[in-house]
Amino acid sequence: MSPPATRATAWAIAFAIGLGVLIMLGSRNLAHFDAALVGYTFATLFATFGITYRYAMWLQRPPTRMYWRRGWRAFLAPRALPGNLARFAKRAVVEVAANRFILRRDRMRGVTHLLLMWGCFLAAAITFPLVWGWIHFETVPGHLGLYRAYLFGYATGDFAVSSALAFVVFHGLVWASLLVLAGVMLAFRRRMRDRGAEAVQQFGEDVLPLVLLAAISVTGLMLTISYTWLRGYAYSFLAILHAITVIVTLLWLPFGKFFHIFQRPAQLGVGFYKDEGARGDQARCRRCSRPFAPAQLIRDLITVERDLGFRYEMAGGHYQEVCPACRRALFGLAQGALWTAPAPPPSEDG
Amino acid sequence: MPVPQQLEFFVDPSRCIGCQACVQACTECDTHRGEAMIHLEYVDRAHSVQTVPVVCMHCEQPTCAEVCPADAIKRSGDGVVQSARKPRCIACGNCVVACPFGVPELYIDRAIMMKCDMCYDRTSVGKKPMCATVCPSQALFFGTREQALALRPQSAPTHTFRFGDQTITTRVNVMVPRRAVPSHVDVTAAMAERASGRGLRLPVLDSADPFADVEV
Amino acid sequence: MATLPVDDLAITGAFGPHLSPRTRGGTADAPDRLVKTHCCFCGQQCGIQLKVSGNEVIGFEPWEEFPFNRGMLCPKGVKRYLQGSHPDRLLTALRRDPGAPGGFRAMPYDEAIRHVAREIARLQREHGNAAIGVLGGASLTTEKTYLLGKFARVCLKTPYIDYNGRLCMVSAGAANKKAFGIDRTTNPWSDMVGTEVIWVAGSNVAECSPITTNYIWQAREMGARVIVQDPRITPIARTCDLYLPVRPGRDAALFAGVLGLMIEHGWIDHEFIAEHTVGFDAVAAYCKTWPIARTAEVTGVPERSLRRAAELWGTAKTSFLFHARGIEHHSNGVQNALGTINLVLATGRIGRPKSGYGTIVGQANGQGGREHGQKCDQLPGWRDISNPEHRRYIASVWNIEEPELPGPGVDAYELFRKIDAGEIKGLIAICFNPVVSLPDNQFIARALDKLELFVAIDFFLSDTARHADVVLPGSLQEEDEGTVTQVEGRVIKINRAVDCPGEARQDWRIIQDLARALDRPHGMTFASPQEIFEELRIASKGGVADYSGITYDKIDAQLGVFWPCYSEDPRTGAPTPDHPGTPRLFEPDSYNPVARGAGRFYFPDGKARFNVADHRPAVDDASSEFPIFLTTGRVVSQFLSGTQTRRIGPLVAQYPEPRLELHPRLADKLGIADGDWATCETPRGAITLRAMVVTTIRPDTVFIPYHWPGDKSPNRLTVAAQDPISKIPQYKVCGCRVRRAAGPPAYASEREPQQ
Repeated sequence: MSPPATRATAWAIAFAIGLGVLIMLGSRNLAHFDAALVGYTFATLFATFGITYRYAMWLQRPPTRMYWRRGWRAFLAPRALPGNLARFAKRAVVEVAANRFILRRDRMRGVTHLLLMWGCFLAAAITFPLVWGWIHFETVPGHLGLYRAYLFGYATGDFAVSSALAFVVFHGLVWASLLVLAGVMLAFRRRMRDRGAEAVQQFGEDVLPLVLLAAISVTGLMLTISYTWLRGYAYSFLAILHAITVIVTLLWLPFGKFFHIFQRPAQLGVGFYKDEGARGDQARCRRCSRPFAPAQLIRDLITVERDLGFRYEMAGGHYQEVCPACRRALFGLAQGALWTAPAPPPSEDG
Repeated sequence: MPVPQQLEFFVDPSRCIGCQACVQACTECDTHRGEAMIHLEYVDRAHSVQTVPVVCMHCEQPTCAEVCPADAIKRSGDGVVQSARKPRCIACGNCVVACPFGVPELYIDRAIMMKCDMCYDRTSVGKKPMCATVCPSQALFFGTREQALALRPQSAPTHTFRFGDQTITTRVNVMVPRRAVPSHVDVTAAMAERASGRGLRLPVLDSADPFADVEV
Repeated sequence: MATLPVDDLAITGAFGPHLSPRTRGGTADAPDRLVKTHCCFCGQQCGIQLKVSGNEVIGFEPWEEFPFNRGMLCPKGVKRYLQGSHPDRLLTALRRDPGAPGGFRAMPYDEAIRHVAREIARLQREHGNAAIGVLGGASLTTEKTYLLGKFARVCLKTPYIDYNGRLCMVSAGAANKKAFGIDRTTNPWSDMVGTEVIWVAGSNVAECSPITTNYIWQAREMGARVIVQDPRITPIARTCDLYLPVRPGRDAALFAGVLGLMIEHGWIDHEFIAEHTVGFDAVAAYCKTWPIARTAEVTGVPERSLRRAAELWGTAKTSFLFHARGIEHHSNGVQNALGTINLVLATGRIGRPKSGYGTIVGQANGQGGREHGQKCDQLPGWRDISNPEHRRYIASVWNIEEPELPGPGVDAYELFRKIDAGEIKGLIAICFNPVVSLPDNQFIARALDKLELFVAIDFFLSDTARHADVVLPGSLQEEDEGTVTQVEGRVIKINRAVDCPGEARQDWRIIQDLARALDRPHGMTFASPQEIFEELRIASKGGVADYSGITYDKIDAQLGVFWPCYSEDPRTGAPTPDHPGTPRLFEPDSYNPVARGAGRFYFPDGKARFNVADHRPAVDDASSEFPIFLTTGRVVSQFLSGTQTRRIGPLVAQYPEPRLELHPRLADKLGIADGDWATCETPRGAITLRAMVVTTIRPDTVFIPYHWPGDKSPNRLTVAAQDPISKIPQYKVCGCRVRRAAGPPAYASEREPQQ
């Protein structure tokens, strides 16, 4: 195994064990653990392993490593930290929670993504603690109409079984799946109608995730329908079907499109690095002398390119010190020069 | 569907007349509707009408993809380096400054890099890219190598470039003189070149300036 | 009564030019159908497919099968689809109303037609038939130009009809008529590929006819040398083999000097000259008056370059020469064009593959629009309105008595002088925007003010239509069908993609509606453009521009038909339904109905004419008072007076406003820096534009593109001097002076760039 893979494996094992310990703690040594959910639990453990492994591998790529370090350094720089915290909060809300950048790419896509993202988030927020035994509910002794919620084994509050709150809470997954289904339909609509999307989409990368989300939502809803209106008709079959869809999705998390959920926060780190770069010196183009990028970005990129094995060193400097516009001009000038040189002989009478 | 291997892109900037048909047509493509991915710029308008059209050269080992911290740029099996994958791109701008040809563009408000994908919506179904279809000077030509060689007896395609010590090979070709085909196009060697007022083949005058004798 | 009804800015606010709000279609927009047709702009007439959804053009798709452009398009062609569904589109007739906020009030179409007919009848009753003038345009389909000529002569019975080709094609046309007896490019453009030398005289090919670029570069790949004659280093000049930086207005001298050198060195085809031409000796004698030193001094082209040109041109085996407005837009325009023809005839390189001569037409139907009778002196089939035989034939086709047919009228500019003099009281104009496009255009606006009735047929309220009493809502190119004849002489078919919106009508219907309302429907009752074309075929039969063998079906099948195309063999009279047309003129074994076997050229003796192409100084040439040459032209993203292209956002963005191009040496002398406001002044007026300081123009010359109106229009400055034969205005040269402006002009803060 290569050193990066060894390191990544170590991190992955550590995170998986860490989650295992938290499950033991949160469920009070499995006292509140629902044995029926054990399949889900193992799937999450495996997903944790896989995601951590991939994340660790990813972080070890030269450009990612550079950005990871620079991002944190920029964020934690003592003088900038207070401002950074405020910016972090704002960007987390505006960009991450409200998907502003996606809405700007395309309004409809933004709405689609908001539905999918918040549906999934809601579902995860409900099911993961249940699966890990971190939350459970008990009837309040002596009050059959009251439920008591426990978090990590600690009682956190009572509520009436027949209350509206209870209805909302216990049907949380229904609401989540409705959000997701709406999002999936919008996404499919776009993928079927938009010729640009059609051209570049791939089944595994773009369509399968939507199919999985749809399958989870539909089977989950069917469970609710079964016990609510059909007196449990085919309940255990549906439960197995639902479990399969969820487990497959969990196991697939590290490999496919869903991994962007874990990658995406890097956008915030990049923001701090860029803020710092904008405040610092700007690199001036070797050819046109105009500033074109933060000097630090160029220095870091040269390091990254060398780590990757690129050799853009040129007489008296590095090609990275030439701005993109001049690069385009050079391309034309170099080609044009081939056509004019060597100079044709002067004409006889000229 | 992949872009057929026998169909290639041939660029000859010396033919370019700067009309921007490519830029206007580029905005009509469905993978990046409304934005032109091709670059067309004057080298130095004050001294020349020389213009350079730059499409993505689709490197065999794309620097942009290698330096992308988010793994957002992928080269598909047909050799086309795709535009940034939208879920992944974090708009860091590494690709923009790293691309040796100066191709990618950052759209900061949308947190996305976009670049020429050889009109994947068209080329993947056997059509020509929009820019090469409309180009009135055919500075941008798309077709088979046989067609290119037959149409351009004075030109030869090359797809090897040098930038300092780095050699880059690409899926897209540029046309060089067939009478003396270089092993590569040395781009950084042009650092001292100036935009040429005229690329004349028959220098008749002593001065490069045809207006040298004109009195003001 | 045709002053602007309200302030110009208020009209602009109401009627534009605004930019199309639709800058792009959605990626999910699916067209119902693709309509194969041609671009609505220049004379190249590139094939294009319009994407249509419902009654809306939503985009384009290249048409790679059409042989001329094989999918290629310039930026105008790419974005032309944005002109439809435009907020400025006229959907009703308009009546001038100073009380309305925009100066015009909508009126029902039928009422507008009745009103116009009543007024025409009144004016003709009071002042005679000739009190009404008609102006047409060379962007109209050939059917419309034919109908317009017939309308003027048969329905209105006025001699006063002319068209905007007067600004465009007439110098070339007159020269071709004098030299060849026929007026058409001699070879298809594909003949350029494989030729040894190409001479481009006064044509900014890259910007004005971009598709031709590929033909030239393709020829260069096959070994051709390219000579470019232009006061500016245009993109095509930048990489040509030999650049002749001619001083504006000296082209005929250049041709005479070069031909003189060729004669001196024996680089001419004596045999061809003797067998197939007349008039060479006079030309040779004239060329003797242009020794090379004098030529160099007058033209400003270095002697060595002239010698090289003579050698290249003189010693080639095959060659192609074409010219455009650069040498034609002169009071010496016909002479300039004749000068090029002399260069061609002296070498005998015409009428065979890889050797030809042509003029690059400007407008969509620059060729067809000049053949079938909207010119003041012309009848269909390129017939002469003063020729009794021609008159009799057309009178018979039109079923009128020959004496009823009016005689020759006057050129478009002269027509405005007649308006100014009060002779013409009413004017119907279509497809013509003289307030922007004619020289000294403030005179034009003043002349329009004197009209009692001005009717404009237009799809947008053009700068000229603003002066109208009544505006009738006409059709965009994609709303009608018909034929046009493109640069090579290929007759092609424009296909209808959508219907006219609102109360807008196809132009030929409007003209016929007027005829009916005048109660003079004779010969104006066609039910379709095809019916008009069928009559045009008969009317052109036996003329030089013989379209009799062309049918819509044949155009579709052959992707265009080169005229002349005969329905009957001119030799035998036998029907020739399959006549394929005539891609190449003057071939050795060719037969034409004028020469009747006497030779290849369209004169009774079959011989081409050398004409002494005399260099005469320009009117209002550079002088001590106005020492700088002013020349005008186009940019690639705009078309003519900009009525359409100044409404298309992406095209406006490409080159938003006119700039004054000048050389840094001149700029230094004047104290002007790049981007400064600079005022250019002539005796006619002054305009202030941003300076663009570039080394790509002669240091004694400034250039301004002409696509903008009002204070941005260089035609405020140009001189209304005209060629004595063709009557083309002298747009390409006049003396001016330039100074740094104290500050920005008023328009900079009042108007958007395209307005």
